[in-house]
Amino acid sequence: MSEHAPVVVKPADHEAFKLPASLSALGLPLCIGGAIALFVGLGLGYSSVSAKFGMSAYLTAFMYCFTIVMGSLFFVLIQHLSRAGWSVVVRRVAELMMMMIVPLAVLFLPILATLFTGEGVLYRWDSSTFWADAHIADEVVANKTGYLSQGFFAIRAVFYFAVWCFLAYYFFKKSTDQDETGEKAATDQMQWWSGPAVMAFSGTLSFAAFDWVMSLSPMWFSTMFGVYIFAGSILSAHCAIAAGTYLLQSKGALKDEVTVEHYHDLGKLIFGFVFFWTYISFSQFMLIWYGNIPEETEWFFVRQQETWVTVAFVLIGLHWLLPFLGTMSIHVRRKPFLVFCWACYILVMHYFDVYWMIMPEAYSGIHGDAYATAGGAIGVVSSLLCVVGMAALLVGVILKLATQTKVAAIRDPRFRESMAFENI
Amino acid sequence: MSASETATETVSESEKKIHGVTAEFTSVDTLLAACRRVRDAGYTKTDAFAPFAVHGIDKALGIKPTVLPWIALIGGVTGVTVALCMQIWMNAIDYPYIISGKPFISLPAFIPVAFELTILLASFGAFFGMWALNGLPRFSNPMFTNPRFDRVTDDTFFLFVDSKDERFDQAGVERLFADCGGEHIDTVVEDDSPTKVPSFLIVAWLVSVALSIIPLLIVAKMRVTNSSSPRFHIFFDMDFSPARDAQQTTSIFADNRAARPDIPGTVARGQVQDLSFTTGIEKLSSNAPKPSEHLVAFMQESDDSKTTGGAAQKSVMDTTVWLDKNPRKVDASLLERGQQQFGIYCSVCHGMNGGGNGLVNQRAQKLSQSTWIQPSSLHQETLYSDKYPDGKLFSTITNGIRKMPGYAGQIKAKDRWAIVAYVRALQQSQNASIDLVPQAKRASLEKEKAGVEKRLKEEAEEAQKKAGESKKDSPKPA
Repeated sequence: MSEHAPVVVKPADHEAFKLPASLSALGLPLCIGGAIALFVGLGLGYSSVSAKFGMSAYLTAFMYCFTIVMGSLFFVLIQHLSRAGWSVVVRRVAELMMMMIVPLAVLFLPILATLFTGEGVLYRWDSSTFWADAHIADEVVANKTGYLSQGFFAIRAVFYFAVWCFLAYYFFKKSTDQDETGEKAATDQMQWWSGPAVMAFSGTLSFAAFDWVMSLSPMWFSTMFGVYIFAGSILSAHCAIAAGTYLLQSKGALKDEVTVEHYHDLGKLIFGFVFFWTYISFSQFMLIWYGNIPEETEWFFVRQQETWVTVAFVLIGLHWLLPFLGTMSIHVRRKPFLVFCWACYILVMHYFDVYWMIMPEAYSGIHGDAYATAGGAIGVVSSLLCVVGMAALLVGVILKLATQTKVAAIRDPRFRESMAFENI
Repeated sequence: MSASETATETVSESEKKIHGVTAEFTSVDTLLAACRRVRDAGYTKTDAFAPFAVHGIDKALGIKPTVLPWIALIGGVTGVTVALCMQIWMNAIDYPYIISGKPFISLPAFIPVAFELTILLASFGAFFGMWALNGLPRFSNPMFTNPRFDRVTDDTFFLFVDSKDERFDQAGVERLFADCGGEHIDTVVEDDSPTKVPSFLIVAWLVSVALSIIPLLIVAKMRVTNSSSPRFHIFFDMDFSPARDAQQTTSIFADNRAARPDIPGTVARGQVQDLSFTTGIEKLSSNAPKPSEHLVAFMQESDDSKTTGGAAQKSVMDTTVWLDKNPRKVDASLLERGQQQFGIYCSVCHGMNGGGNGLVNQRAQKLSQSTWIQPSSLHQETLYSDKYPDGKLFSTITNGIRKMPGYAGQIKAKDRWAIVAYVRALQQSQNASIDLVPQAKRASLEKEKAGVEKRLKEEAEEAQKKAGESKKDSPKPA
């Protein structure tokens, strides 16, 4: 490979660092099409199944995109924290994705709006009669409602988004400014701030997971839930980075900069995080299963009824075992196309994971409706329209953003090191 | 070596075995370049030494991909298999033991051990596999004979070509190294330092072996001797659990009872059951009282019946709407269970066939007990399901009747229903027509019937013959 030819860094205005025209042309159509699909999906679920179903499908789509975006943010932070050299050529892809936290803040507004319109449209605790109907002791209600109240929930959400938008903007701005100036000080500053940023990230992500997903089942609690969300998040982010980089390369950008070595590393991380996700989700399950205390088993009990148990087994077999075996071999990881295929596959499975996490709450409930399947064909169509629409919308925004920047952090002091990187 | 090259050594030098040729390089780049030259020259038995891991050196030296991942994989697969088999064998086969109410083979509980053992054996595979592939442990390496080689852990890079290489030619290799910019090109010679283990190491080893025997000797002595001093408890609360047993007292509660009675008005988790299932009484209507109220009413009723005697119980019996049908699904497995439970609890009085002549009855008859009341035959028409509904039969098993005690404490509700089903089968068996037997099985039944008839006939003939013979014979001795 590059062993005889020394590494040549192309000039900054080279075609390889610009978003290919075929992709930038997709930006606007994706934005418009995505927005329409999202709107139709939400409307279909809202009107044809139920308000709760529509909003749950919307929340599922939101959490799917949100976890990938947050994983990308973490990817950028951890590269700076560990002063990684290998990842510089693919870091901009992650940086572009993490900026999507800004449009996601806007897309969160419908979820926030459910709290102030109607009773328990999405969250069961958002209903004045919920606690009494569920026969929950006054003392517990007093403790719970202190945290799970509409106002405090909104304040927390605003705070989380403020932190994330700030972090994403700071790291994106520093990095893109460096493209122009090439000053090394920007890298030093980003490295210095990555430590506090990771701490702020982990705290806020955990609590956001508690607030937005775990509180769908208000009496259930798992301190591991934040880590569970994070595990799916970091896994899907690595997949999205690998898939995004591969797409860029297939359209002609970064042809010589990203090599098989980078796919090999991304493949290793995907392999590792597939097991990390399994480890975390099983740990959460096993403690609750072994303790077998009704307050704690409720969440898993609901997910072991009817269709949900099938989804649970799909997750075991197809979210863990298949990709675990599939990405184990070095020969797979060193073939960019196979890494791309596995990355896309895991991104699909990640949707199953999020769906299984959120959608059972749209029906179940110890005191709610009977267990039912996924709202029929209309429910499935509405859920898929929501997620495809939101993802397309965000990809469109990413492409719009990418036309204004380079697709790699070309003047990062470690850019040459990253290009010359070898695994073996 | 140039420093040590003295007149006396030149003689022994030529006798020493040459292992190969080595050269020094000052940077990674020159080392990698030299590696590629050596590889392209066709040498395969080569090695490079650096103070840190150098990516890309495998390819530069032309080293084939290692089989180490496969060894690690085999280790991991062995680990998961051994762990699962071990736990299944231990917990479900060799010593079946219920832990936390989980099944004997309870996969989620086995996974942590399986995971750990997978990691352990995969790591062992990688670590010891690496040893094996590198020919380790090796206490001495000819490279160490070169005093300059110490700097390989500091700031110098070495390249080595083994003399066992097919293309090895000392002068050629030295020339190649010089071309690549190698410095201090030396031959690597046999290590002639003494191979004898220093005596102080042997002494230290023997002493540690001797010392390690002492604890074993102490344990062995304690196992065969008596001691008057009390046993030493390392974990006192594990030897003497503070948990109370049933019927023990405690000072924690005012009533001094360690076993806590149920809190009035509550039902323990898992104890709420369909009332008609546990009583045999059908629910009266859909707006019947809530299960808890029903249960309380029922308990009060049965309490009353205890205090006021049989009369109250009788009135309950008479006015009750009994379940007509067995609430459990009646199939072969239920009947088998019922047969087994009937055999254990009922047959001692009622007989294996339900005819009312069990072993206890036979014994009582033999002793001519005047207070003995004959157990009912279950084949009376008044006990058939049209006159004596399933629910009533269930209730009789549960609460007892006349001299028969209630079996609620001994037989679980679902097993009592199995017995009910089996009793119905017994009753059916006395009145069954051939039409009830499936077509396919009739032939074998007919055959069996013919066999039995034939045998009975033969036995009867034989008895007749014998009787005839004894008649014939009897006059003789007389």
